[in-house]
Amino acid sequence: MLLPEPEQNILDRRDEIVAALKSMLPKGCVIDDRTTMKAFDSDALSAYRNLPLVVVLPETARQVADVMKWCRDNKVKIVPRGAGTSLSGGALPLSDGVLLGLGKFNQITEIDYENRTVTAQPGVTNLAITTAVQDNGFYYAPDPSSQIACSIGGNIAENSGGVHCLKYGLTTNNVLGIEMVTMDGEIVRIGGKHLDAPGFDILGIMTGSEGLLGVVTEVTVRILRKPATQRAMLVGFDSAQQAGQAVSTVIGAGIIPAGMEMMDNPAINAAEDFVQAGYPREAAALLIVELDGPEVEVDYLLDRVAGLMKTSGASSMRVSQSEEERNQFWAGRKSAFPAVGRISPDYLCMDGTIPRKALPEMLTRMAAMSQKYGLRVANVFHAGDGNLHPLILFDANAEGELERAEEFGAEILRNCVALGGVLTGEHGVGVEKRDLMGEMFSEDDLKQQQRLKCAFDPDHLLNPGKVFPVLHRCAELGRLHVHHGQLPHPDIPRF
Amino acid sequence: MAVYTPETSAEIETIIRDALLQKTPLKISGYGTKTGLGGQVQAPDELSLAGHKGITDYQPEELVMVARAGTLLAEIEEALAQKGQMLAFEPPHLEGFYGTEHAGSLGGVIACNLSGPRRISAGAARDYLLGFDAVSGRAGYFRSGSKVMKNVTGYDLSKLMCGSFGMLAVMSEITLKVLPRPEYVASLSLICASLAQAQSVLSAAFGSATEPSGGAILGEGGGFVATIRLEGVQISVEDRLVSLSDLLASFSDLRVLEGEESSDFWANMRDIAFLDKGAEQVWKLSATPSLAPQIIAEIQRAFDIEFGLDWAGGLIWLSGSGAGLGSHIRNILAANGGGHATLMRASDSIRAIQPVFQPLGEAIGGLQTRIKTAFDPENILNPQRLNLGGEADANAF
Repeated sequence: MLLPEPEQNILDRRDEIVAALKSMLPKGCVIDDRTTMKAFDSDALSAYRNLPLVVVLPETARQVADVMKWCRDNKVKIVPRGAGTSLSGGALPLSDGVLLGLGKFNQITEIDYENRTVTAQPGVTNLAITTAVQDNGFYYAPDPSSQIACSIGGNIAENSGGVHCLKYGLTTNNVLGIEMVTMDGEIVRIGGKHLDAPGFDILGIMTGSEGLLGVVTEVTVRILRKPATQRAMLVGFDSAQQAGQAVSTVIGAGIIPAGMEMMDNPAINAAEDFVQAGYPREAAALLIVELDGPEVEVDYLLDRVAGLMKTSGASSMRVSQSEEERNQFWAGRKSAFPAVGRISPDYLCMDGTIPRKALPEMLTRMAAMSQKYGLRVANVFHAGDGNLHPLILFDANAEGELERAEEFGAEILRNCVALGGVLTGEHGVGVEKRDLMGEMFSEDDLKQQQRLKCAFDPDHLLNPGKVFPVLHRCAELGRLHVHHGQLPHPDIPRF
Repeated sequence: MAVYTPETSAEIETIIRDALLQKTPLKISGYGTKTGLGGQVQAPDELSLAGHKGITDYQPEELVMVARAGTLLAEIEEALAQKGQMLAFEPPHLEGFYGTEHAGSLGGVIACNLSGPRRISAGAARDYLLGFDAVSGRAGYFRSGSKVMKNVTGYDLSKLMCGSFGMLAVMSEITLKVLPRPEYVASLSLICASLAQAQSVLSAAFGSATEPSGGAILGEGGGFVATIRLEGVQISVEDRLVSLSDLLASFSDLRVLEGEESSDFWANMRDIAFLDKGAEQVWKLSATPSLAPQIIAEIQRAFDIEFGLDWAGGLIWLSGSGAGLGSHIRNILAANGGGHATLMRASDSIRAIQPVFQPLGEAIGGLQTRIKTAFDPENILNPQRLNLGGEADANAF
């Protein structure tokens, strides 16, 4: 993985940069000794590690603004970091960049039940928001599997999803407002407790921007009343193709379950070994379908879904009879990653999305790729929205296996795009999928995205080296050649 | 004045390229049904998408529809209804409000980010745009997004296109997420003595597990009628109606609206049909829901207004007249939790002196202007439709 070549003049100025940052931040907010900085050298994509130039942990938006303005004036790069749980290397440090950690922003600032909002600092964990309001019967809907650790600010950066976004949406559909600091060091507010915002939708564009456009210092989200009843069913199938078809059948019948997850046989067995969730070990594929709402609705829809599953060829079916049992059904799915971690020294987690109807075809191709690369793969899917999480099992200590696993992963993602899907559904591009962007976008598509970047950060100081495979200078992107009555490349090919 | 009606994205590209070469700005339109909304575009030529129409792909079981920008909203909704589906953001049909022949194009709904009563529970138009292709003001064709529900690959430019009023790029094809229509709908209405009481009824309903999909308040007699909509499978709606009635048992005059009575009520809210047709100015305020009664009371201290509330109180529609109404509204919003106000309908002369959209302030205005420049550096597309409050306005041709 290639990061931008560190600038020697910045590395040479390290002492001066550290001194300047120390002068503008309280004691203990600047970490510059290499041993302590080691804790920040990677995020959850731990195959890549790199020490930052220096780590800063500011405590107020004003301090964030001071640091950013100083860095802009001195042309020093910044990598923002929340809890460091990114699976795509979004918070991978740069040797010549300041790592800006938001860990000290850990307070919930306001809970407003009347308007059903929570306002929190960006370092607050996703789960802490639900925890803060659950005694009053509310919750925050997006629930990424890392919710116990991941921060709400990081959720904004990555537009995080979870197992319930089929019905309740991603982060972008649940955020009402932010306070952010621009690369100019301006503190601005977008949105709030009201809906929508005038002008171009900066809140929408900030969400999922992977820390390339600004640094979020406060977040207002909507909270929802907890449904009266939630029940889950486990449905086993003799083939993954049948399970994939069953997913389309349920949605085609006009039913949008709260969650609809799928696991293949290796994932079922790994999870069963790990937490004894009661999964059918012999099934080729397992669906976990969750329904929520008033009890009568849940009962009625469970019946209808059960009928559809039977006609789709289900080999086994179980409905949760208690909250404890429902949690047990989910425990296997939610611990699928660590469970797979027990049966293989290392694994790579991929994150493509495909149209639901392409699921059976994708599984067939995946089996063929597994043969071709000689590596096992376990699959967990957010089947309801077509989001795949193939886990490629490998041993980093075996010569060439990491490279083979990465090539396998890249081929999976190319197949996702070929089947009408995308490179990443919820983990982000980061450094991991950066060099595959050309599979999905033309050069012109990517240049237009980068022009947006230039509107926020004309010197490419915020998180450079992430998302985009080629860094075009903004002056070059902005130039509009109009001469001899022609624009450049009027006949540029489209893909 | 020339009106161009391209039928392909390549033709859109050619028209914009010519406009760029001649430095002649373009008015971007569908069928011109929403020209009453926004600043007046001063452009010698017009690019109309009325000829670029048709549904190109619709897969009900994938919950995805692709259509060209000029496709009539009515055609989209008809095709969806045939498969038991809908646009969940409930786009308004403003032909009555603006006095036009029909409700216009899909591209117009998306470009104006217009959403109806279900915005409060299901989200806005911007939450349903999965992807698009377009030609920028640089005459550059580009694509963004996809046909899948979950996608974080690159910036979410779909959000930027919604509400951009044709000022960044001309959309060619639009990919939407669609949802099943609810099998059954019923509403519960009750009379409250005060606006504050009606507001607290909506707050209680939306804070309950009855999952309302609409919450509105209209004045009636000397009181206020709060109406709450429930949707879903019939057995569930009936159950939630009982729960909601229990919750609001202290009100003696609960009334259930079913069938057409319910759907007419919400269409009336959606299409802003409840306000006086002859009003000089109609304003749309997005506010903190619980503060709506106070905001209205303060506006009424200086102006005679007619009003109605939607989005559980977070959307205030009001009509009135007089110079200074707009700045009065905006000052009161700013002092009461923030929010924004849009002048939805007024004569050309009022719109010429009154900023239609909320002024944005220097820092955000600067960002907005730079975003405009990133897509349309020569300010060719719909100059001054949105007041960005920065250089793009000043540099208009």
